[in-house]
Amino acid sequence: MEHVSTTERIVRGVLITLVLAFFLFPIFWILLMSFQTNETILRIPPSLFFEPTLANYTALLTGQLKTTAGNLDILFMRNLGNSVLLSTGSVLLSLLLGVPAAYAFARFRFRLGENIAFTLLSFRFAPPLLVLLPLSLYFKQLGLTNSYVGLIWVYQLICLPLILWIVRGYFEDISPDIEHAYRISGHSWRQTFTRIAIPLARPGIAAAGLLAFIFAWNNFVFALILASADKQPVTVGALAFVTASGIQYGQIAAAIVLSVTPTLLLALYAQRYLVEGLSLGAVKG
Amino acid sequence: MSSVADATVARPVRSRIMRRARPYLLSLPALLVCIGILIPFGTAAYYSMMRFRLNLPMLKGFIWFDNYTALVGDPTFWHTVSVSLAYAGFTVGLELMLGLGIALLLQKPTRFHNIASILLLLPLMTAPALAALMWKLMTNPNFGILSYLVSLLGISDFKWASDPSTALFTVVLVDIWVYTPFMMILLLAGLRSLPKQPFEAAALDGVPRSFVFFRITLPMLMPYIITATLFRLLDSIQQFDIIYSMTQGGPGDTLLVFQVRAYLEFFQYTNVGKSAAILMILWAITYFLSNIFIKQWLKLRERTRGHA
Amino acid sequence: MLRLEIRGITKSFKDCAVLDGVSLGAEAGEIVVIFGPSGTGKTVLLRLIAGVHDPDRGAIFVDGQDMTDVAPDHRGIGMAFQNFALFPHMSAFDNIASPLAARHLPPAAIRGGVERVAKLLKIDQVLAHAPRELSNGQKQRTALARALAGSPKLLLLDDPLRNVDAKLRFEMRLELPPLLRQSGSTVLYVTQDYKEAMALADRIAVLIGGQFVQVARPDDIYRLPETVQVARLFGDPTINLIDVIPHTAGNGVFATISNTAVAIGEQYRAGVGRAALLGIRPESIKISDAAAGLIPADVVATTPLNERLVTLLKTADGHELLVSQPATERAAEADRRVGLQFARDDIVLFDKASGQRLQAANGVGRS
Repeated sequence: MEHVSTTERIVRGVLITLVLAFFLFPIFWILLMSFQTNETILRIPPSLFFEPTLANYTALLTGQLKTTAGNLDILFMRNLGNSVLLSTGSVLLSLLLGVPAAYAFARFRFRLGENIAFTLLSFRFAPPLLVLLPLSLYFKQLGLTNSYVGLIWVYQLICLPLILWIVRGYFEDISPDIEHAYRISGHSWRQTFTRIAIPLARPGIAAAGLLAFIFAWNNFVFALILASADKQPVTVGALAFVTASGIQYGQIAAAIVLSVTPTLLLALYAQRYLVEGLSLGAVKG
Repeated sequence: MSSVADATVARPVRSRIMRRARPYLLSLPALLVCIGILIPFGTAAYYSMMRFRLNLPMLKGFIWFDNYTALVGDPTFWHTVSVSLAYAGFTVGLELMLGLGIALLLQKPTRFHNIASILLLLPLMTAPALAALMWKLMTNPNFGILSYLVSLLGISDFKWASDPSTALFTVVLVDIWVYTPFMMILLLAGLRSLPKQPFEAAALDGVPRSFVFFRITLPMLMPYIITATLFRLLDSIQQFDIIYSMTQGGPGDTLLVFQVRAYLEFFQYTNVGKSAAILMILWAITYFLSNIFIKQWLKLRERTRGHA
Repeated sequence: MLRLEIRGITKSFKDCAVLDGVSLGAEAGEIVVIFGPSGTGKTVLLRLIAGVHDPDRGAIFVDGQDMTDVAPDHRGIGMAFQNFALFPHMSAFDNIASPLAARHLPPAAIRGGVERVAKLLKIDQVLAHAPRELSNGQKQRTALARALAGSPKLLLLDDPLRNVDAKLRFEMRLELPPLLRQSGSTVLYVTQDYKEAMALADRIAVLIGGQFVQVARPDDIYRLPETVQVARLFGDPTINLIDVIPHTAGNGVFATISNTAVAIGEQYRAGVGRAALLGIRPESIKISDAAAGLIPADVVATTPLNERLVTLLKTADGHELLVSQPATERAAEADRRVGLQFARDDIVLFDKASGQRLQAANGVGRS
């Protein structure tokens, strides 16, 4: 099994390289485009060698776009800030709500717990619009439309199942006797939870949190329906940006780069836990 | 000796009720979120059986299953069904084959392979809506690199997403780009977790590679394949982000899959009742599939945790 | 007042009563071993006393105070688990210090307490290590040290030597009794190893089928087991059991085996005429040359066992018996016909139907 012929090795290498090329090319190309001026972009044939410019990024960061038609205000940085706010807030809230619940599901066998866990899991696969469309009507009545609070609450639909199912597994992996021993030593239940259970489950909690952040950041449809322009995250904002800015392709590319970079970096950082997170705790990497 | 132990003289008696209540208190917030999901769901079910247009609120009324029968008789609805099924079928089928192929390529845990599998995750971590935008730029007729490359092959004026005959192809391509890594990573984890003995025995016996693959690898990998396929099927049949970002369901009504259609019915035509009915039908399909999925997923979870 | 008293403890899992109304008392400083075959609820009982689980029914008293509803952190207990249950993210020192730290003692007192008990258990050199760096023996000593550190009134030891290799187990079996006595705690020790039970216990409580079948001193359990099951669980090789129907002859009580009359103690007169099992331990049978008045038997095989010699014999009427002799004696040759003599005072008679040891109506013969 170990003697792989050289031709096979070469063929494999070539195939893998082709695969990598296909999957990485779009990111690479957009990155290139973000450093190009409009003239460079529109040049045919496109070339790899050009004079790079930072003008696109400065335009986005300063929020000012100098066109032949005059100055345009770009609110893109606002979108970026919204993404950060919404994702961070949702993850923090879901950790706060989810970690104790995950502990409860791991340690206690109670009917209500199984029901909650399964409802959240099965609605992970239900069409989001089924919940979002009526919710948009309710939000209007409750005055929660276009509010960070309302959005962070709704984002729990994405984050909470993830936290529950991943962290639950990590709690289950801790031998109950360790917690019993700590309690018998003279510590209260709360001390046992904070000084034994959580530290020992920390890798899982971190992994779940990072993944929840990525999924919250990448979400599109929730904000599309429940938020207006000033509170929209980058996923929705970029789309609006494309329609609004017309021919400013370099800036569109730069906007996409800025929107995508955080999650890509986080993914590289947390890649050890991705298999487990993506399969909701069913498969370990 | 005994004086130290007597430090615990003040013994607070904790009631058993408190202890029994603890799991419920801990999961109370999660329960609230559950309720927060089930109420709108119930509302949607209710609205699906009503005549309810936002721009004509006075005509609101209960009409039982008329929305559903109207849909069944509506050819555009069946177009939605067929596009959604086609989309789901092509994407999941192609992603499965590609993902399996790549997983087999990367099976051996060498440094190169591991780096490759990490890099291959990047498309998956991109927001699908943004991925659609990236591909939109790449297929732009004026400066898009793909349009240029395709023109080199002699096909000039390939309209990608703007043409009804090629729109499905284009969005399927984007979906494949984003989601194949999902299949790959799950199947790779599965491949690497398979026991070594059967393969060593087969190698010793000189069994041909194709036999090993079809009769040993594939059957052992089935739980992962089934789980991953169902997972993707469930997501693909309700795809919204990619299609909406790319064409908003166009050109015309070519790409009006379930959720896109429901969205447009709600926001463009303000027909809440019809929109809800479409979503309920979609929900029924996904509910059925997700039940099968959850069973498979639990089996896989137990098998993994058993080894862990 | 008893240091520990449990009354009528019942606990069921999935409709199966693991503990069925058990009661037990232990004096201050006493070492009580809870012994029984695996899966009989010994560990469950310990956890109920520790407060980790709640009993379905029954009560637990420590020094006369009702502890049944008190949280485990307030019961004044130290416990050592079978799989050690050390805190993996803390050093051995911090593990042992845990009960002292919980009482918010000053650091100097904590250090003193930890070092004292670590020295007793000979692990004072490895205190800085993490649990995963310790050997199994060291882990178990650390677990014991942690249980002892707080000088608890009640020490619960759940088969602590189970996961430790044989040689170390023997060493610790010698070290433990003085250590436990020195601590002054009342000890409940769970084990499946009867030799361990007999070596450590002041009293042994035999748990079978959710009940305490016998609670007595080790000697009494060995010599006067309450039931056939208890008799079988203690002793290696296992006790010999022969179907007999006792009868009287003259003034004495006798049983007939292979046409030979065997004298049985007076206390078993109640068994006359009933189907009974005669129990005789292998070391209480003497092999001599065949003679009248001795049970005729043929030697089948001989084998050494520990420091003894075990011989398998078959009596003329077909009973198979094991006899155990000191290794210094000469082994009997195979197929030789010999005569067996049972030591009368070592014979125990059990009722065949119930398995209970037969006792005289006025209580003669009780341990």
